[in-house]
Amino acid sequence: MRARMSCAVAVLVLAGCAAREVEFRRWPSETPAENNKADIAKMQGLQAAAAAAATLATPQASEQAGSGAEPPPPLVKPDDAPSLKTYDPWARLNRFTYRFNARFDEAIFLPVANGYRRFVPTPLRGGVHSFFANLTEVDSVINYTLQGRLHRTVRSFGRFVINTTLGIGGLFDIAARFNIAYEPTGFGTTLARWGMHPGPYLVMPLLGPSTFREGVGYGVDYGTDYGINLADLYRGDQSWGLGVANAVDQRANVDFRYYSTGSPFEYETIRFLYMRKQLIEDAGLHRSKPVPKPKPDEPAGK
Amino acid sequence: MKSLAVLTLIALCSPSFAEPPPIQLPPARGPATGLAGPAALRATVFGTPPQDIAPLPDTVPMLEMDLALPWRRPVPEIFWFDKRLRVWFSAQKKPAPLAIVISGTGSDANTTKLSVLRAILYGAGYHVLTMPSPTFPGFIVSTSSTGVAGDLLQDGQDLYAAMGEIIAHLPRKVQITDVDVLGYSLGGANAAIVKSIDATQHKLHIHRAVMINPPVSLFSSVGRLDKLYAVSLGNGDAGIERFYAQLYAQLANAYRASGRVELDEDFLLGAAAEVLKTDAQFSAAIALSFRIALSNVFLAGDMYSGAGVVTDPAHPPKVGDSLEEIAEVLRGKTFAEYFNSIFAPYYLKRLPNSTVESLIAQNRLDVIGDRLRTDPDYYCLTNSDDLILDRAELGWLKTTLGTRIAVYDHGGHLGNLGDRRQAADMLAMLDGSWQGSR
Repeated sequence: MRARMSCAVAVLVLAGCAAREVEFRRWPSETPAENNKADIAKMQGLQAAAAAAATLATPQASEQAGSGAEPPPPLVKPDDAPSLKTYDPWARLNRFTYRFNARFDEAIFLPVANGYRRFVPTPLRGGVHSFFANLTEVDSVINYTLQGRLHRTVRSFGRFVINTTLGIGGLFDIAARFNIAYEPTGFGTTLARWGMHPGPYLVMPLLGPSTFREGVGYGVDYGTDYGINLADLYRGDQSWGLGVANAVDQRANVDFRYYSTGSPFEYETIRFLYMRKQLIEDAGLHRSKPVPKPKPDEPAGK
Repeated sequence: MKSLAVLTLIALCSPSFAEPPPIQLPPARGPATGLAGPAALRATVFGTPPQDIAPLPDTVPMLEMDLALPWRRPVPEIFWFDKRLRVWFSAQKKPAPLAIVISGTGSDANTTKLSVLRAILYGAGYHVLTMPSPTFPGFIVSTSSTGVAGDLLQDGQDLYAAMGEIIAHLPRKVQITDVDVLGYSLGGANAAIVKSIDATQHKLHIHRAVMINPPVSLFSSVGRLDKLYAVSLGNGDAGIERFYAQLYAQLANAYRASGRVELDEDFLLGAAAEVLKTDAQFSAAIALSFRIALSNVFLAGDMYSGAGVVTDPAHPPKVGDSLEEIAEVLRGKTFAEYFNSIFAPYYLKRLPNSTVESLIAQNRLDVIGDRLRTDPDYYCLTNSDDLILDRAELGWLKTTLGTRIAVYDHGGHLGNLGDRRQAADMLAMLDGSWQGSR
């Protein structure tokens, strides 16, 4: 009964969302002065990083670094770039899912996330975001270990311990103040590190663009969390509330709106960008090896 | 910077084959980049440095308005998400003048450039309404009375009608004391045309119009962009594939060297300066960003006019169909091809006494030349190295507007939008205190 009621409400919301002549939607206010300040800081950071990189690139600096320095990765050449086409054998289903996601996002997900941003004070939202980010450190510790990147395992473990204790259950990202940045990973990246290809492009319901490999990774990560059931957060009735809160927090922190491009080519565009992002990240995971040369005319991801 | 790198990648989605055009658009005069040199190209790509931006207010309220306009034409299935016109309104709490800002080629009503203008105007005490370009697919589908974008007068009429509807539906507590209209790039020309329409129809009582980096002749500007594309990328697939492969390799190398675990916005922001270095790369990025806008305009125009250049009018693409082949064909389509195979045939039929020459002529700002010369409420801000203008066009703007134009030495096309000096001049023009260039 409850499921039927929920379906009926969802259908009514989805069907009625574009019925009136004018629809108003109030968004959180823009904060131009603060954004500009952040852009200036980012620009200065980039300039400082570029200056530091230029200093390191001088012959004297290279000599000082000595033979212990890690050799630079073999160069990726233009011939190594994948084709402009993308491997998408499930295109029909993917397009359907993309459309569903767009409608769901516009009617339910985005309004809820906006309300959350408008009415929940920033420090509280920051606490919620840190709390969920801290929980993902469990997956990061396991997967960095499986990937053989033990220094990163130590970092994630350290972050988890610091934030769970000093950060009061993860509500504050104290580790970031010690310059231990949040760099999550999951089983999808572990599979990539083990040499698995991304596989076909996949649009996941509600979650959006992905690949077959990332989809498997997501399932395994969820299973791992469910199995470990940290602080009994993943089983029982409270897990639903936490799941929803996590989803709203994630949506509120993603600056993307379906079809804001206004373009019917949006599906193709996102697919193109997502698959190249995956392939470049894969190249980064095997930075000491040359990138495998793609076969002529083989779509990217195959 | 990030947006350009991403846009460049986006553009690569959309290869080429050319059909013999039935009508010939005259070739663009002058160099491919108009008046632009290396500094102008760089400024055009990277935009105004954040430290040069004018003082901005702490907060700007944001109200999205989605309107179903009564004159909307039947919507092609694949544009199902564009049925309503989406605009953004920022209201002052007290009576205030309204500034209506029109976006540039192919852009929506909430671009980064519009955000900057919105903040400056709101900070100066204006209610601000931001509108998409008439070449934005969301506008073409929801608002255009023809579906074939790019005609200055027709697009102006559609914009004017839409503005009337929007103002009629603004929240009741909003009190407007005056109405001014602005626009950047193509939106600048649109703004001037809208004010000239209002001068005869008197529905909105638009007081002042400010054009920021406008084109003088639409088709000579787009001809120049075609030339820029051909010079930087060549014609056909080989050039675009080469550029894509080069960009991909540079991004991958920067990413591998960075040791990061995710390719995110921050990485792209830093990598853009490493990836885009030469004039040819800047030119290619600029030309590509305009081509992205063109592919949507071309597809919508093809479907609405029934021209059948990239779609079969009897069997139009449906929701769920792959648009990859159409995107591939459109990737090679030039602005000239849009004019020759969609725009000119449509308007020649619609306007019985028109000719190709008259269509080109009526898409120049000099269709309202007399008004621009005599009405003291038209203003312009532009740069002496703007790539969409040639020397004669810049000269025409200066002669026509006299003291009502500010021409900066550098900035390329919109590369100084919102900087302190430009913002101060813009506000002086809007409030009538502009005394001419200092």
